[in-house]
Amino acid sequence: MENNGFVENGFIIDLGHAKDAAEIIYELSNILEMPEAKNKEICLKLGVINLSQSQLLSIKSLINSMVSELAFIDTDSEQTELAALNLGIIVSELSNEIEVTTPEIDAKEVEIKEIEVGTPKDGLSYELIETEPVEEEKIEVVEKSEEALKAEEKLEELIDEENEQVSEKEAATYEISKLPTLYLQQTLRSGQTMSYDGNILLIGDAHPGSEIIAKGDITIWGVLGGIAHAGARGNDFAKIRALKINAIQLRISGFYARRPDAMNIPFIQRSNEFTPEEASVNNKEIAIYKISER
Amino acid sequence: MGRVIVITSGKGGVGKTTTSANIGTALAKAGQKVILIDTDIGLRNLDLLLGLENRIVYTIIDVVEGRCKLKQALVKDKKNPNLCLLAAAQTRDKSALSQEQLKSICDELKEDNDFVIVDCPAGIEQGFQNAIAGATEAIIVTTPEMSAVRDADRIIGLLEAKEEIESYKLLLNRVRPNLVQSNDMMSVDDVVDILSCSLIGIIPEDIGVITSTNKGEPIVNDEQSLAGQAYQNVAKRIMGEEIDFLNLDEPKGVVAKIKKFFAGLFGKEQKA
Repeated sequence: MENNGFVENGFIIDLGHAKDAAEIIYELSNILEMPEAKNKEICLKLGVINLSQSQLLSIKSLINSMVSELAFIDTDSEQTELAALNLGIIVSELSNEIEVTTPEIDAKEVEIKEIEVGTPKDGLSYELIETEPVEEEKIEVVEKSEEALKAEEKLEELIDEENEQVSEKEAATYEISKLPTLYLQQTLRSGQTMSYDGNILLIGDAHPGSEIIAKGDITIWGVLGGIAHAGARGNDFAKIRALKINAIQLRISGFYARRPDAMNIPFIQRSNEFTPEEASVNNKEIAIYKISER
Repeated sequence: MGRVIVITSGKGGVGKTTTSANIGTALAKAGQKVILIDTDIGLRNLDLLLGLENRIVYTIIDVVEGRCKLKQALVKDKKNPNLCLLAAAQTRDKSALSQEQLKSICDELKEDNDFVIVDCPAGIEQGFQNAIAGATEAIIVTTPEMSAVRDADRIIGLLEAKEEIESYKLLLNRVRPNLVQSNDMMSVDDVVDILSCSLIGIIPEDIGVITSTNKGEPIVNDEQSLAGQAYQNVAKRIMGEEIDFLNLDEPKGVVAKIKKFFAGLFGKEQKA
């Protein structure tokens, strides 16, 4: 299980790191053996590697032999592109880039490129599961607990204002609950990024210097020490949850909060007692709420 | 038109980043407009030393890849508005940057600033080549150890081969006068003799540097500390003032007594 990921209409396989055609075919055959890969429109990311017509043809027939179809390929090599065109294979840019609404500092709009639905560049492997939509009960629990906590410790002083857009909030929360969830069980270390077009559930710590970017919610069963960006495509109601939020920066949709300078210690503070915390946008600012025991 | 100075060493752990942070802060305190560039892509630390980690949104990679403008990526220092940091990306590696890209960034930045200080990564590979690409001056940081001096010698050779580098100076870091006196450490003169390179500063070993690093506060902000004073003097020399080196050979007064006291304690422990 190397690199793969679901898209709605197909199956992207990222082989951009492979060094030669043999490696591509070897990895591809491994991936295609997985039951999830059957009967799918396969989209291949081939990176910079040069492939000849015959090599491409054998890749195509390999995919066909596994009861799937090669929908299109994405390549940075001109030779491969030419060979694909000769064979009638569609060459296309894979549109798995997430447009990120950027935190307001001076910037207006930025795009984070190279966000892969597959593995991060370090070659970490992880499992991908499709989750059932969260039941409504669960959503209610979240909202209640948030309300109960409003009086609790905050990152910044906030004036509590009645939420006018309840229906908008419900819609956004429902949208998040329907997103697929990436399930990870590892420690995310400095320099590692995790981007996903859905929710991210990380069982383990996210160390300072790491980055987690998700279209939906980010939930961490551990200490969040790095940068987390939830609702990266512009969902203001996305939430970041962790056993301890010690993040350098929190970003939700277009909002941005940084760790207070007084707390700016370059290492994670360990403790045996955790009070789970949840960050969300309240009154156009990001606030952290402690989830008290119920 | 500003000056572009690269801080380099070859060997890791001799204090390039500490030196960059302190010289940058000292120059900014003296009223100069300073930009610090961290070119250690993937292993950035300069932001930590300045305590600016939580303010970084864009990095130098975002600039070269066109995701933001250069001005947006400059992080202003907490205390000194004259000082700005252009941070390195943590999630990429050295190959994400090319020499031409760094050179054009340096050229653009020196238009509006007095100093552009480039913090170089360890090694002599692409990261080093990138860092020196835009510079016209270099400060070679070394410690009085044979390995560091040998690496500094290699670096000087590489810098001499590069036409753009007009001048280079040596900064001797982590000097321990008591060890030099007891002939257990190379003296300043020894190092200068070996490298045949003019000195721009001698920084004494100072425990305060460790705490200042952890606090994210450069030690030049601590007027009392010897290392802080030494860094301030380096900054003044960079600006063209003639200043005598700190006399480290005969420490007098309370500091010396305390040092002796600790040295005594340490000696006893070793015997036991």
